[in-house]
This record gives sequence, C-alpha cells and structure tokens, in this order.
Amino acid sequence: MTTRRNFLWNYGGGLGGIALAHLLSQEGLLGAQSGVHHPAKAKRVVQLFMSGAASQCDTFDYKPELIKRNGQKFDPGGKVELFQSDPGAVMQCPWEWKQHGQSGKWVSGLLPNLAECVDDIAFVHSLMSKSNVHGPATFMQNSGFILPGYPCMGAWISYGLGSMNKDLPTFVVLPDARGFAPNGGGNWSAGFLPAAHQGTMIRASSANPIYDLFPPKSASYITPESEPDSLAVLNQLNQRHLEGHAGDSQLEARIASYELAAKLQVSAPEVMDISKESAAARALYGIDDIKTQDFGRNCLVARRMLERGVRFIQIWSGADNGFPRRNWDSHEDLAKDHGLMASGMDKPAAALIKDLKARGMLDDTIVYWTTEFGRMPCSQGSKGRDHNPFAFTSWFAGGGFKGGVSYGASDEWSYKAVENPVFCYDIHATVLHLLGIDHTKLTYRHNGIDRRLTDVYGNVIPELLA
Amino acid sequence: MSILAARCRGCHNDQVQSGHLNLTSAEGLRKGGDKGVVVVPRKPDESLLVKLVSGGPPRMPLTGSPLSAEEIKTIRQWVTEGATWSEPETWWSLKPLTKPTVPNVQSKWIRTPIDSFVLAKLAEKGLTASREADRRTLIRRLTYDLHGLPPTMEEVDAFLADRSPDAYEKLVDRLLASPRYGERWGRHWLDVAHYGESHGFDKDKPRRNAWPYRDYVIAAFNNDQPYKRFVEEQLAGDALYGGDPQATVALGFIAGGPWDFVGQAELREGTTDKNMTRTLDRDDMVTVTMSAFTSVTAHCARCHDHKFDPIKQEEYYNLQSVFAGVDRADRPFDSDPAVFAARRQLLAQRRELAVKLRPIEDEVSEIKTPEIIALDKQLTEWKEISATDPASRPAEIQKKIAEGAARRKELLKAAIPADTAARLAELRGALADVDKQMNALPKPQYVYAAADFFEPIGTFRFPLEPRPVNLLQRGSVDRPLAVSQPGALSCVPGLKSQFGVPLTAPESDRRVALARWITDQNNTLTWRSIVNRVWHYHFGAGIVDTPNDFGHMGSQPTNAALLDWLAVEFRDSGGSFKKLHKLIVMSAVYRQASDYNEANAKIDAGNQYLWRANRQRIDAESLRDSIVMAAGKLDLTMGGPSVEQFFFKDDHSPVYDYSRFDPDAPGNYRRSVYRFLVRSMPDPLMERFDCPDISMITAKRSTTITAIQALALMNNPFVLKQAEHLAERARMAGGDQIRHIFRWTLQRDPDPKEEALLKPYLAREGLENLCRLILNTNEFLFVD
Repeated sequence: MTTRRNFLWNYGGGLGGIALAHLLSQEGLLGAQSGVHHPAKAKRVVQLFMSGAASQCDTFDYKPELIKRNGQKFDPGGKVELFQSDPGAVMQCPWEWKQHGQSGKWVSGLLPNLAECVDDIAFVHSLMSKSNVHGPATFMQNSGFILPGYPCMGAWISYGLGSMNKDLPTFVVLPDARGFAPNGGGNWSAGFLPAAHQGTMIRASSANPIYDLFPPKSASYITPESEPDSLAVLNQLNQRHLEGHAGDSQLEARIASYELAAKLQVSAPEVMDISKESAAARALYGIDDIKTQDFGRNCLVARRMLERGVRFIQIWSGADNGFPRRNWDSHEDLAKDHGLMASGMDKPAAALIKDLKARGMLDDTIVYWTTEFGRMPCSQGSKGRDHNPFAFTSWFAGGGFKGGVSYGASDEWSYKAVENPVFCYDIHATVLHLLGIDHTKLTYRHNGIDRRLTDVYGNVIPELLA
Repeated sequence: MSILAARCRGCHNDQVQSGHLNLTSAEGLRKGGDKGVVVVPRKPDESLLVKLVSGGPPRMPLTGSPLSAEEIKTIRQWVTEGATWSEPETWWSLKPLTKPTVPNVQSKWIRTPIDSFVLAKLAEKGLTASREADRRTLIRRLTYDLHGLPPTMEEVDAFLADRSPDAYEKLVDRLLASPRYGERWGRHWLDVAHYGESHGFDKDKPRRNAWPYRDYVIAAFNNDQPYKRFVEEQLAGDALYGGDPQATVALGFIAGGPWDFVGQAELREGTTDKNMTRTLDRDDMVTVTMSAFTSVTAHCARCHDHKFDPIKQEEYYNLQSVFAGVDRADRPFDSDPAVFAARRQLLAQRRELAVKLRPIEDEVSEIKTPEIIALDKQLTEWKEISATDPASRPAEIQKKIAEGAARRKELLKAAIPADTAARLAELRGALADVDKQMNALPKPQYVYAAADFFEPIGTFRFPLEPRPVNLLQRGSVDRPLAVSQPGALSCVPGLKSQFGVPLTAPESDRRVALARWITDQNNTLTWRSIVNRVWHYHFGAGIVDTPNDFGHMGSQPTNAALLDWLAVEFRDSGGSFKKLHKLIVMSAVYRQASDYNEANAKIDAGNQYLWRANRQRIDAESLRDSIVMAAGKLDLTMGGPSVEQFFFKDDHSPVYDYSRFDPDAPGNYRRSVYRFLVRSMPDPLMERFDCPDISMITAKRSTTITAIQALALMNNPFVLKQAEHLAERARMAGGDQIRHIFRWTLQRDPDPKEEALLKPYLAREGLENLCRLILNTNEFLFVD
C-alpha cells in the first residue's frame, strides 16, 4: 500500500531523513534550501517557550493607564471571568518602563537585555488563546489544537521540509533543567505524523543527553574498540539477509540507519560541548552565572545546532505549574516569580539574537518567543496576576521578520486584544510562509480529515514581513 | 447534485422535510415546498433555491457556513442547463449489505472462497498469485500475527515434522486457543479505543483503575465474545447486561481517551472554559465510538455539516447527547455477581439521595451572614499574606486558617434555617444508612469508565440528569442553538436516526439506543468496518486502506465484493472473531510467499491486490516481547494492575522518568500489553518503534525507520539487559552457543557462512556482544 511518495515521507523524516536524505534531495521533494511552495526567507527556527504564561503587561505591552489607575477598581466593562479568582484592583507593572532603540519601543525594566534588541524584533500584541487553562493553551500554541495528540509546529516543519544535515536530528527540544512544562512530551509530539518527526529531547546538562545515545556503563563489554567490529559484522549479516530479500527498501533503510546512528554518536556530543566556546561567548550567554547558566547553555547549544543544520529547536523557559514556582505562572507574587524567571531568560535570549546577527545567521533564522496566554492587568491576591487568554504578546526576530515593528494592540488595560486580534493560526501561517511553505498545503490525512497546523484558519500577516 | 446532498438534504429530506421541501428525489424538487416551486429550469434568477443560497447573508443553509461562490455558481449553471435530476450512485459503504456470489474462478491454488475473490481480482488486473511460503515462514508469520510473539524452536521443529494434511490447520487452531491470542488482538483494539492510563494535558495524573478494561478486552477476544455483544457491552453493558460485572467494566471504552483535569475539576461551573472542556470531552466519546464501530468521521460535523459525507451538524450533536449523562470516573464493581447486584442497588439509592442533597447543600454553602462575611475576609487575607500553596505557609498562619475554618463551620451551622437543617439531617441519615450497608459488602474493585455517579473531585461532580446538549453554531460554546435529542446518522439506509428516547428517561437508555443502532444487522457500516479492521491487521493493509474512514475522503475498497462477503459471513455466523481469523489465515492468499516479482510490481507496486504477502517490521510490543522471550525471561502472568516501568513522583504535573527503573524488577518481563501507558510521557523505547500517541485514535500504525531506533536497539538499558540474559541462557545451555542463539531468536540454525563470520567475532567480542548483534538484525525485526 506504500506509494513511492508515501514511502519517502514515512521513512524520510526527522533523523530518519538522513537515511534517505541523498535520495530525497535528488528527487527534489525536499525544498531544503528553496522552500516547498515558494522561495523561503528562513531555513531554521528557534522557538523560546515561556511556560506558565509570561505577562504581556509587565514585559512589552506598555499601558500608561495601569500606572495612572494603579490600585483602583478594575472595571473594563462587561463580565470579567477569571481562571481561579475574582478580579482585584488594577496593578501596575512592578518595573519601570523605558523606550529603547531607534524604534522607541517601550520595554519594562524586567528585560534590560532584550530591550537592546527591539530594533531587530517584530512584536505581536494582539494574540488570544482559545483556552484559559495551561495544558490546552500550551497545546494550542504548539499544535494549533487545544487537545493532545496533534503534531506540533516542529514536527510539521520536519515533515514538510525534512533534514538539512546528515548527522543530527531535524527537530530538537531543550527542556528547562527544572522539569517539563505542562503536557510534558506531548508538547513536542508528532501526533499522527510518523514518529520520526517528533522532537528529539536533549537534556544539555545531563550525562546522557539523548536517550540511548550510548550504552550504559554497566554494559562494560561494549568498548570503543568493540563497536566498529560489531557494526561491521552486523552489516555483513544484514547484507546477506538482503541478498535473499531483494527489492525491499525498508531493509536497506534499516542498514543505513546504523551508519547514521554512529554519526550521531560523534556529532551530538560535539554539538553540546561548549568548552571550546570563547570567553566572550560564555559571558554573552551568561554561562558562568548561576542565574542564567541553564537557559544560557541551552541557547548556546541551540546556536551550535543551528550552525550544523538543525532545522527546528524548541527551548523551554519554565517547568510545570507547581510549587515553589518554577515557571511563569505568577498567581501569588509576580514581582518575585517573574523577576526570577526573567533574570534567567532575558540575557541568554538576547545573546542568541545578537550572536546570530553577528554571525550573519539571523537573516535566515527565525527566533520566535512565545507563551501560552497572558496575565490580567488586575491583581490576584495583592501581588499576583491571574490568567488572561484575551491578550498576550509574542515576538519574532530574523528570518524575514521586520525589525522594530509592533503589530496589533490590546485595549487601554492590556486586557483584551482590540486591534488586529489573532490566534496562533496566523502566527503559525506566517512562520511557515517564511520557511517557503503554504500553510494550507502542508496537510496530512488522518481519520478522514486533511489535517494542518493551522486547522481551518490562518492568514499570513504581511505587516510582519521584512 | 452533490451540493444539494451535502448542504441541503440535511433538513430537506424524506424524513425531516423542513418547510415541506424534500430534495432527495426529482419529484420532491419539482413539487417544491411551503414557499412554492424552488427551481424554474433554465431560469436561475426566477429560482427560489438560487435566491435563498446567494446574497449576503444568505437565508440558506440555516446551519453551517454559507455556500461558497463556486458552489453557488455550480447551482446556477445546473439550473441554467435545465436542472435535470440524476441521482448519484449511493456511496459504497452506505449500500445495503448483501452477500455476493463467490466468483467462478478455477485454480488449484484456491483453498477458500476468499481466494476466489482475490484471484478474480488479480486476473482482472493482470496479476498473478505467488507460491505458498515455506513452513518456517508460515509458522513465524502466523505466530506473530495471532500472538505477537515468535514461535519457539520446538514449535517450529514440530510443525516442520508434521506431515499430516491438516498440520497447518492444527497450528491455526492451537494458536487461536492460546490466551496469547487475546493479548495480541486485544492490543489492536486498545489502539482503536485510544486506551491510556493517565489523563493527559497538564496534571497528567495516573489512572490506576483503567486496567480492568484492558483485561476485559483481552478476555473478550480469548472467549471469542460475539462482536454484537462486544459492542453493546462497551457502550451500554451496565444497562443491557446489568447482572454481569464485566459488562460494566466494558464501559472503560467510553472513558479511554484523555481527560482535562484542570478544566473538569478546577474550573468553576458556568464558565466558558468549563463548557468547552465538557463539550470536547463528549466530542472524544462520539469520535471514538463512531470511528471504532462504524468507521465514519461524524466528528467532522462539529462546527458545520460534514463537508464530504451526508452527516448533518445536528446529527453530530444528537450523538453528543447520547453521552450527556456520563463522565469519566472510577466506578466500583465486584467480581462476585451477587455482591455486584447488591452494590448496584445500593449505589442507585445513594445516587438518588445525592441528587436530592446537592441542591440543598449548594444552597447552604451560599449562606452569608455578616459574621461569615467578615470571617471569610479575614481568611482570604491570611491566605494571601502567604503563598497559595498550603504546604509552604508558616505554621502559625496554618493554625489560624484551620481555626477559622472550624469557626466558619459553627457559624454556618447556626445560620441554616431549621427546616433546611432538618431536611439535611434526614437525607444525610438516609445516606449514612446506605453507606453502612455498602461498607458491610466486601471491598469493591474499581474501573475507570463511563459513570453517571461518582465521588466529586473539586468542581467535577456527577450530572444530576443528562446535561442539555445544544447544537453549537460554528462549534462555539458561546453560540448555543437548539437542544439536541439523542440520535445517530440518517445516511444509513433503513435505520431510524432519531432514537425517540424521552429526555427524562434514564440516561442509559440513550447509550442502549446507540448500541442497538450500531449493532443492527442492517447497519451497512458496522459489519464492513470490523471485518476490514481484522483484514488490516492480518495483511498490514485493509481492503479499505482507511480503516476509520469509510466516507468520501477515505479510500475505496480494493475488493468490494470480498469485503461484503466477509462482512455478511461474519455477521451471520454469530460475529465470531476466531472463525473470521481462521477463514482468513486458512486462505491461499494469506499463505503466499513475500517474494518480489518484477512483472507484478510493475502493475501493482504497493501490493494492493495481494499478489504476494507483505513483509512487515514487527510492531513495538512484538519487538519488546520477542527480545524478552529470546532472553528466556518472558513472564506470561496475565492481567491485573499495569507494570510501571518508570520512576514515578506525584506532583502538580507528575513525573514519569524512564531513565530510572530496574529492568529486572518484578513484572517487567510481562508482555508489553501490561505496561502502564502514560499519555504525556510515553516510554521512549516503545515510542521509537512507532507505538502511537495514545491520545489519538489509531486505526493504522505508521512504520518508520530511523537512526534513533538503531540507537535504542543498540544501547537501551532494557534491551542490553536482555542481551545479557540471552548470553547467560546460552552459557547455561552448553554446546554450540551460536546455534542456540540463532534458534531462540531467528528460529533456525546458522548456515556455515554465518558460523564462519560469527565464531571469530564471538572470540573477539564475547557472548553478550554477539547476542546484542543478533537482536539488531533485520531478520529478527521483520516477518516475511
């Protein structure tokens, strides 16, 4: 039942894409360089995901009204329905706002480093979510659906564009060192796409950063000397088997997969080894500062992976919504908890933009900063903020996005998106567009529906394009 | 005409006839409706139909999106050309089910009627059938197919030695009689049911009572449960077979999918997100039911009428209302039917009392005296000056909060009106009586299943009565339209789509009605659906290659006559899976070799018409089980709580860590079907071999080949442990170690060339490395 094209997709994605990468590029099915549906501006994406809901009105969505009315009753008109509390008083941002760059973008004092990059950034202030609950909303930002089981953006891009390198995965996930975000591995699932397209999780600070990259120490019979011998003998056994079963490309692909596995064993530790990075690079990413070292290492490793042709990298800032707070879900004490999260994220994220720019890579790399929804302009308790699915901010740098622009706007409170409100569909459509993909054409038939990342929605946002 | 079918006939058909207009026949079209004639041939501008669907906003269709400009143009053109009526042929899956005659094909190759159908098709396509596979291939294929395991070498030797004419049939009968069969085929069904043992989403809590449903499925296959009853029990076993505890366990089917803990148990009643959570929860129930049993994509009609198949949005919501009285929850049952009967009665009483109690308790909880208001304010302040995490509050604050809560209870008690208090006391007394009797029963087991009554978790409470299900405009909970009535699909000929169950009837009447609708012997979908599924698992591809979609977007059958013949044969012989399996595996088609044939491949490269057997990589479960079996460690204990092959730590979002578990811990060598299945964090080893995402309904697994797989098989600690056990087993056996290992893994002896290659390798790298190597060979992973 396997058609040729189907076979290539099934066996040709993700890391397996390497197995048949030469085949694929010969056939021109992969638009690796030039895009599938139209010429691409960007080749690669780094997604920075702020788990737990990073506040828009304490970062990039400047509202003088909140300063003016600080402590007054929050009365935006109509019924205010919050996730877990009744609305408290208007609460101003605990940090001071200043304008930055040529574009004069207002950024709060929470993010001094990212503030230096505003002229390279396109902000979207009018995002909305279909769910006010972390789990479904996090799914939505990743896959366009508020349910588990749908392929995330990285998986779609892996499926659509395939691999750009011969010895690393196509789609890599770097989780927060403190743990996984809500939904765990569901956030980087390939859903109904072939399993090869799911994110390969790399725990950069762990001894065994990729599951099963190397045998456990207990298997002392496997040595650097025995391994080439074993692979050679295995290859001979498989080749003999193949002789008796001619014309079966599955068997050939499996033989090739062992060669590629061996390459990965060399390239993966190499890409994660930052010991040869310069002192300047270490300082830029904050590797030697306890506050920034985890996120900084992930950003630096991400840059190394981008250089080596990894196509999609997802980096998480924040774990689950538990206590003590270890993500952006600052219901109780925003100044403390957002302060902590931002101090770990701000410098490395800015470093990534600056470093990519200095290396000439920002032109074809999209840096995409997002979160699952926003936070309320009124207080919860007296110092926290509850969820706000009606307005939040994402931003983009590089890869064909225009720098120094802001698109869409929330109301005077930063409560509801009022100008050009968008869901993630438009965001996803725009990112795919820059990668040379028409989001309406990247489909996969599953249980009777031609599924897409953008469901039945999505418009490219021309105002964001350079 | 297809536009009328897809967009108009939902309301204007011979059953509904909105505005007395029936657009299902030439006569109905000519007659028109209340507003008179709707089509004037050759005069689109005078035709009411054209007027109603165009303009902005158009009057029709009432539900669903307006017609596209393209569609309106087509209709205009059709009217301009004379509006001639040509009834399109009924879609294949909705044609009445009749048993086709077996084609008259003569060949010595033919063993069963199936072969005649296939051979006729091969001849039609200019293809030729393949020779029969050799005996080692056959026993390996059959054992993997029916058991998900390889045969033992002894079994292979015995089969090779058995020269009796019915040797193959005896083998088939033996395999079907083994409990390993239910474990293998039950696992297939669990894919379709998207059975999982954690909730998914954020707070992916384990479901420690899901497994009784898994055991029910395995037992149903092993006992050759008639299919009709299998379906009935999974939808309404509690009502239809109330005396059988296992029929209640079967309701685990409805509860198999994900469940949003935060949305269900933490959100406040009446909020948009709560309503959305509920409607999506029911959507999952509808989707799995209609996909699994009827292979239709009814879920495509949630936001609008189905775009390709004749399914109205209204019908979709009628299906939702079938499940409006149940939620997913732990449900008690007893293996002793007598105890179970007693418990059922007590539970019914308990539910009745709880239904009366809730409004009173809700009312009481709303009582606010000035003192209570003041105290509440104080309590909130105490809570706010510390974190909302109760555990991290200072001790003195915790004490104050506890004292305040106790004081509140007293204040509340004093504030309750006397008659309310009396009524409360009476009901609570009655409840205590029931509980006392319940406690006197032996402790129950629990199954995570559809339930109309359960203990509350936060704001998650059992429905007092089936919740009203509204048709939702564009699928949005903020835009509710008319209340739906329990029902199914009108496109299936000869069956009533409206169940006529009064909204006040017990909720289970709805599920019973749907079960009866599905299992009706005239349901054209049900019987085709299940035989196609079975065929799919035997051959690696169905006669219809989209086993969950028999609609216009799905594949068409490659051999429609064969499908219908199988469906009728299966239905009329009592719905026995074992008979169906035997019918299929006894065929010459099934017994073909997988040899490549250039001439055939030129015509049918994908082997759609089955000119040979499909070579298949074994699935994740079979692979893991085969490895453990080769190591001599396979533990065939059946049933019971699932084996957790990870480190577990309960937390806000629980931690499931697969890098921290001991492969040799008890239970880890049981069959893979008994693994604990986590939604958010699937076992990486299994996932790598295409174990599907269990939040999705999987009719067909994909097979990928990746470098990550190669790494897993080379380096995964669990796999290496088995290589070590295999080595130890070979050492203990004495004699020719290489020969032993070949016989345990590949079910054959090594040939001299292999020995020449492996003997020096063994001397160089040792037995463990050799074992690891063999577990990585293509021959070990593929079944011819």
